[in-house]
Amino acid sequence: MFPRLLWKLLRSNRGRLAVALVAVISGATVISALLNVQFDISRKLTQEFQMLGPNLVIAPPGRMQTQNAGAASAPLMDEATVAGQIARTRTPALISAAPYLYIVARVADTPVVVAGTQLGEAEILNPTWKQETGFPRYLPATRARPLDACIVGRNVARQLKLAPGGPLELKYLNRTAAMTVWSILDSGGAEDNQIFADLTVVQTLAGMKGQIQVEQLRVNGTSSAISAYAASLSKSLPGYDVRPVRAVSEAEGNLLNRTRLLILSMILLILVLTALCVLATMAALAMERRADVGLMKALGGTISRIVGLFLAEVGVLGAVGGLIGCVAGLALAQWMGRQVFGTPITPRWEIFPLTIAMMVVVSMAGALPLRTLGKIKPAVILRGE
Amino acid sequence: MAPLVQIENLRKEFANVRALDGVSFVVQAGEWIAIMGPSGSGKTTLINILGGLDTPTSGRAIVDGTDVARLDENGLARFRAEKIGFVFQQFHLVPYLTALENVMLAQYFHSTTDEGEAREALGRVGLTDRVEHLPGQLSGGEQQRVAVARALINHPKLILADEPTGNLDEANEGIVLKLLRELHAEGHTILMVTHAASIGQLADRRIDLAHGRLVTEHAARKV
Repeated sequence: MFPRLLWKLLRSNRGRLAVALVAVISGATVISALLNVQFDISRKLTQEFQMLGPNLVIAPPGRMQTQNAGAASAPLMDEATVAGQIARTRTPALISAAPYLYIVARVADTPVVVAGTQLGEAEILNPTWKQETGFPRYLPATRARPLDACIVGRNVARQLKLAPGGPLELKYLNRTAAMTVWSILDSGGAEDNQIFADLTVVQTLAGMKGQIQVEQLRVNGTSSAISAYAASLSKSLPGYDVRPVRAVSEAEGNLLNRTRLLILSMILLILVLTALCVLATMAALAMERRADVGLMKALGGTISRIVGLFLAEVGVLGAVGGLIGCVAGLALAQWMGRQVFGTPITPRWEIFPLTIAMMVVVSMAGALPLRTLGKIKPAVILRGE
Repeated sequence: MAPLVQIENLRKEFANVRALDGVSFVVQAGEWIAIMGPSGSGKTTLINILGGLDTPTSGRAIVDGTDVARLDENGLARFRAEKIGFVFQQFHLVPYLTALENVMLAQYFHSTTDEGEAREALGRVGLTDRVEHLPGQLSGGEQQRVAVARALINHPKLILADEPTGNLDEANEGIVLKLLRELHAEGHTILMVTHAASIGQLADRRIDLAHGRLVTEHAARKV
């Protein structure tokens, strides 16, 4: 009988309940979309943060610099040791790690800072680098980058009149290295004044085999997660300084936290607004149901059983509204993802039960006026007052 | 044998109005009592107190051994579900439930529902072919017969009927009174409020109220 009564109650007030249902669906749609964004925001912002470059640096003690550490006379680190420990402590959050050895070499008697590195890793570390490669005119696109390939900063290329595919000779002391210009780099920063070449080539040119000055890393995660990773790496490399680039990692953490706070505030606000909409509908419904409740009481219905029936009705309203809202929210989240981040948000199925539960609770809270039904005196109602 | 209903010095006051003023009488099981009197004499208040819909200001109203005045909210609900069958002048059916569901609603609040039994009850009042109709699709007389079926469904000790024919035409009045006569013949105890002397004469006994006091109590002339 309970489901039968519930169905009849829902049908008998479908006009008024439709208003409350629209409010619940609207609330659930926005909340579900925001929750999807909230759960995916870390991944999305991390992708955005990768554009900021490295956020962790390993350097010899007392020599904490991120790049262009200067002449090769600076303190050095053993490349194999650093690489070995990075491999040992590797986490999925580690996006890339690039070792650097800087020397000041000469190109046609002009001194130029040459950074020896793993070019592929350096490119991943610096996704904002724009390179003019000259493909396919000079080098076939399918060809792997050869060891003699170098990336030349825009200012250096302009000064030395270098172009992609052209030859370049690096001189350091009495050694030389014949290189080919692979691409012209436009970074908008200090890199435009440098030449980037393969680490082993620069190590051989400088006579510092297996030596590096600095290792730059990009690690995804919050400021505290990055610090924790730095601490574990520091334990593995006791002789070196392992430090997060505070300005980057803290800015990332702060932005992430503020965005989450903003989303949670909006969710809270929408929950309150939805509850108010349901409350207004239920207040009117409670007035309309006084006669029914008076009669049900006269027939021997306890207030818990009668109000339980009405609460079940509100619960169904919240659950159905929540479910429809979740589906609509997924679509809204995809749209928001494309508009804000350029890619769709990854759907999180756990949001379904979460949103539905929230909508049921909010609808129940909105059903507060039904409490007044408990005070109804059946004799008064049956008299027609 | 203890009376089914025992009323002792019953008083009920609303603000400064005294609706019942020291009413006392007893009803034996199986009796049909007509409670009569002018408007405002306290008839409905008396029925409401006996049915646990209202509480007395003082005095005792004992129905089947239960002092109604001593029951709390839940106790009154249980009392109404188990011991009382109401028939109201305005029918008071739930408009969005069918005739069958209106009868089953009383079962639901009593214990468990039994659709077959509810259909039987409606059949007994001559509504076999109207069970799936909503109250709005039934005539006044048919609605009142649904109310009678609903009042009987839980086999109550006491049937309280407040002007059961007050809203009916002559033909339907006859049908409902015939039903009440049958119920009485089967041994049901009925307390019926009525204005009409002709209807009051159907009862075993007549209790006249005026200004909340019991004026006369005498055996009705059977017709």
